[in-house]
Amino acid sequence: MKTNQSVKRLRKKLIPFLILIVSLFVLMIELMPIMVVVTSGFKRDIDIWARGPFYFKPTLESYKQVLSNRDFLLSLKNSLVVGLISTAISIIVGSMASYGLTRYVFKFKEIIAYTFLGFRMIPQISLVIPLYVMFNYLKLRDTLTGIVLAHVSFNIPYVVWLLLPFFAAVPRDYEEAARVDGATENQVFWRIFFPLVSPGLVVASVFAFLMSWNEFLYALILTSVNARTAPVAVNGLLGQYAPKWGQLTAAGTIMLIPVFVITLTLQKYIIKGLISGGIKG
Amino acid sequence: MKRVFLVLWLVSIFAVVFAAPYNTTIKVLAWDDALTQALKSGIPDFEKATGIKVILELIPSGNLLQKIGVSVSVDKTDYDLVTVDEPFIPALAHLMLPFDRWSMGKIYKKPNLSVFAPNAFEAAQWGGVFVGMPINANVYIWITRKDLVNDPKYRNEFKSKYGYDLGVPKTFKELRDMAEFFHSKGIYGFAPFTKQTEGSTAEAIFMFESFGTSPLTVQGGKVIVSLDEKKAVEAINFYKELLKFSPPGALDMGHSERIAAFNQGKVFTMFQWPALVPQHEDPNNSLVAGKIIYSAPPVGPAKGAAIRGCWVLAMPNASKNKEAAAEFAYWWASYETGQNLIPKGFTPARSDLLLNPTYNKERPWFKAIFDSMKNAVARPRFTKYPEASQIIRNYWLAAISGKMSPEEAVRKMKDELNELVGK
Amino acid sequence: MNSTSLSGSKKVKNFGGASPHWFFLTPALVIVFAILIFPVIYSLYMSTFDWHLFYSAERKFIGLGNFFQLFKDREFLHSLWLQFGFVVIALPIETVIGFFVALLLNRDGKFYAVVRSLLLLPVFILPVISGLTWRLLLQPEYGMVSFFLEKLGFGIKAWLAEPDFAYGMVIVQDVWRMWPFMFMFIYAGLTGLPREIIEAAEIDGASFWTKVFKVILPQLRPTIATAFLLRLVDALRIFSEVYVMTGGGPGNATMLLSLYINKQAFEFFNIGYAASMGVVLLILALFLSFFIVRGNVKFEGERG
Repeated sequence: MKTNQSVKRLRKKLIPFLILIVSLFVLMIELMPIMVVVTSGFKRDIDIWARGPFYFKPTLESYKQVLSNRDFLLSLKNSLVVGLISTAISIIVGSMASYGLTRYVFKFKEIIAYTFLGFRMIPQISLVIPLYVMFNYLKLRDTLTGIVLAHVSFNIPYVVWLLLPFFAAVPRDYEEAARVDGATENQVFWRIFFPLVSPGLVVASVFAFLMSWNEFLYALILTSVNARTAPVAVNGLLGQYAPKWGQLTAAGTIMLIPVFVITLTLQKYIIKGLISGGIKG
Repeated sequence: MKRVFLVLWLVSIFAVVFAAPYNTTIKVLAWDDALTQALKSGIPDFEKATGIKVILELIPSGNLLQKIGVSVSVDKTDYDLVTVDEPFIPALAHLMLPFDRWSMGKIYKKPNLSVFAPNAFEAAQWGGVFVGMPINANVYIWITRKDLVNDPKYRNEFKSKYGYDLGVPKTFKELRDMAEFFHSKGIYGFAPFTKQTEGSTAEAIFMFESFGTSPLTVQGGKVIVSLDEKKAVEAINFYKELLKFSPPGALDMGHSERIAAFNQGKVFTMFQWPALVPQHEDPNNSLVAGKIIYSAPPVGPAKGAAIRGCWVLAMPNASKNKEAAAEFAYWWASYETGQNLIPKGFTPARSDLLLNPTYNKERPWFKAIFDSMKNAVARPRFTKYPEASQIIRNYWLAAISGKMSPEEAVRKMKDELNELVGK
Repeated sequence: MNSTSLSGSKKVKNFGGASPHWFFLTPALVIVFAILIFPVIYSLYMSTFDWHLFYSAERKFIGLGNFFQLFKDREFLHSLWLQFGFVVIALPIETVIGFFVALLLNRDGKFYAVVRSLLLLPVFILPVISGLTWRLLLQPEYGMVSFFLEKLGFGIKAWLAEPDFAYGMVIVQDVWRMWPFMFMFIYAGLTGLPREIIEAAEIDGASFWTKVFKVILPQLRPTIATAFLLRLVDALRIFSEVYVMTGGGPGNATMLLSLYINKQAFEFFNIGYAASMGVVLLILALFLSFFIVRGNVKFEGERG
């Protein structure tokens, strides 16, 4: 009996330690290629190839070149604007639709849900030529409005579907209690559900922003000099024949920063959601 | 005094505005690299001189055709000038205004065909019509390590072993011998191109042509498959021989891998596109900067060949700004523009610039470009070139990697080309 | 519980007569339809033509001709098969890793918060850069992966020139990049579960696995199904990372479906043919998602 107790105690101490080790291990494997990208941005091209992954003698040359490239900076600004606006629209409109689909009973519900999904599934490559024709006609080509609309078109369906399980998981009692208290449908959604599904909203915002931030094909075809976004500019660094490794990885690292910052700031809302979600347990 | 300056300044502004015969904007679509970046830096001069505002859009070269295809049609165009890689001239010819119908130019003179490097102008030709004008002279040149060739120890040893002098390989036999020699010294004799891209097609055609056969030829407007099986097999076997003296991973080498290997001083000799030469000559990124000899490629058993890949500047028929667009094209091709932009990384297509001794001192590859251009060979020119290129490189790579016997690969290559041409 | 009887109250109308669900759905429907209805119809229209991008004026109506040709096109069928394999191998692996790491890292503390954020970096990286980096990692002489493979006694080899290996590495690249997506999703789902369920699953003796399978997994099923579905949608059109990593080669060993569509559309310029492939891909995707989703995703809130 006694030995059993001490084994249990030992295990209690050992397990968190093991978890820590495993987490670090997973993190290490996962970040190795990222390390290669980040460090390459500080290397000369020849060192990236020559000395192998472990040689490191930093230089800021690539960053200097990338950051003095006006086109790239403009494209970063465009990407940021397009990403934030299209995410905001997608989240608001998409979460409303997702709520509508999960909380009400009506005809054609599944058909509507699958229509959204279908729109998201059409390969961009088949849509880009017609979109070009249409945007040309509407004078939306090479405008930020145009590219925001293009991104919204694939992000709304994404957000709708992403949020379905989060809305569905909220028990009925919540809204009904609120309705009994005299809240309008609108208030039920914004005051009760919006905070409750915040973990889902965080995931949705992060990925909606990411989709827009990394999107290449629409940006390539639908913009030219004014509304060009960062992925197109970065692709230019692939060169006609051989990539400029240093500048490419430097630009890639710069592009990681905004997404990472956004995730970090949003993470606390997952925890907030956890607390409010905890009530129902 | 101040007032005088102000008046003078105003007058000069007016002079520029009114003297400029154009007051318009043109849009130009081009690939993105050192050459076009240099061009961009010269645009303010052009705008001042002509009053034509230029919007130059540079996009990744791999996506250029995509963009042209979407935005240029028979009756509509978003661009007044586009750059086209020469294999795609046949497919786009019907959308472009033939060069002889371009206006004469008021400010910059329309260049005569003879100013361009020999054969370069051919890049723009399709069906007997010049579809545009070549704006760079892009052709295989050969790069060899000067320090290795001049090393007395290697020279003596090589001479006693092979019976002739070590030098820049002038024939395929010399290429083979020297590659073998340096391989035995721990330096890779040769760096191939084996990635699944256009570069491999170029290698295949370079070898085939050097052995005296072309995969496809145009005869009287008709395309026929003309690959000679025996010669093609010889070419493949020769390339396989060279692969023995190549770096590890020789079956997966693209531009990055080749540049990396050469710049680290590990490779003796190989082909290169002129656009990449600055990367070899950049002392920050290359251990062999200043140690390279440039020449035309070695001569094969049948003839000397060099694959050409010029960019062609073409004007969509639907452009509404044809005169202004022509001015820009002529400015681009002018001697003065070349003079101003060469120090910034511009590669010209004009003979007078390529052969100018002033530039050749700092850029010895200009002369090599000129020499290679004399042996220039075009890739098969017809509207279905992309499909043909695909077929050629698939079987070429299968054969040189040993996945298929050379005979079988050549036979299948011919079968599929025949099927494609017959469609 | 007692709430079921009240469920009729959801018919409450306080939007000037319109049913409330339309109030919530309309904005999304209007925006998406306004942007996409023309392109979708146009794309269907294109798929019925023999249409070369440079010869738009000479396009020929051929009805379902493109679709008949598709099923005779060996390269297309090969791509379809590779794409199928890719989805069937990569996605389950990503889901399993994502699930267990979410369990592992579902702990309080700054350290774990930082780890959770850092793990997402691969998802965020530009696909083109991810593909190029893996090409660098696998480069025989200098790449880090090759370095370890050599230490393990595999010798120096042009890994990406080996068809099977190249295909495998395309999958590894995707798993590396995208399992954190599954992780984040599942983690968010996990935080939405009642506290005691998670606590019950604290690693504790032999009962751990039972709890995972009997308690947590059923609770998370809708979340996982949705995450899987969203991954599926993107996995079916994976493109740029593979394009720069292998270009579809060697031979056509990694010519996934969208690479083949791209080849037909933007290398051979057969845009009509390419559009018909897009239609097939869409039907396939809807079919697959219908299979996976139906019965797993609930369209309605739980009743008390």
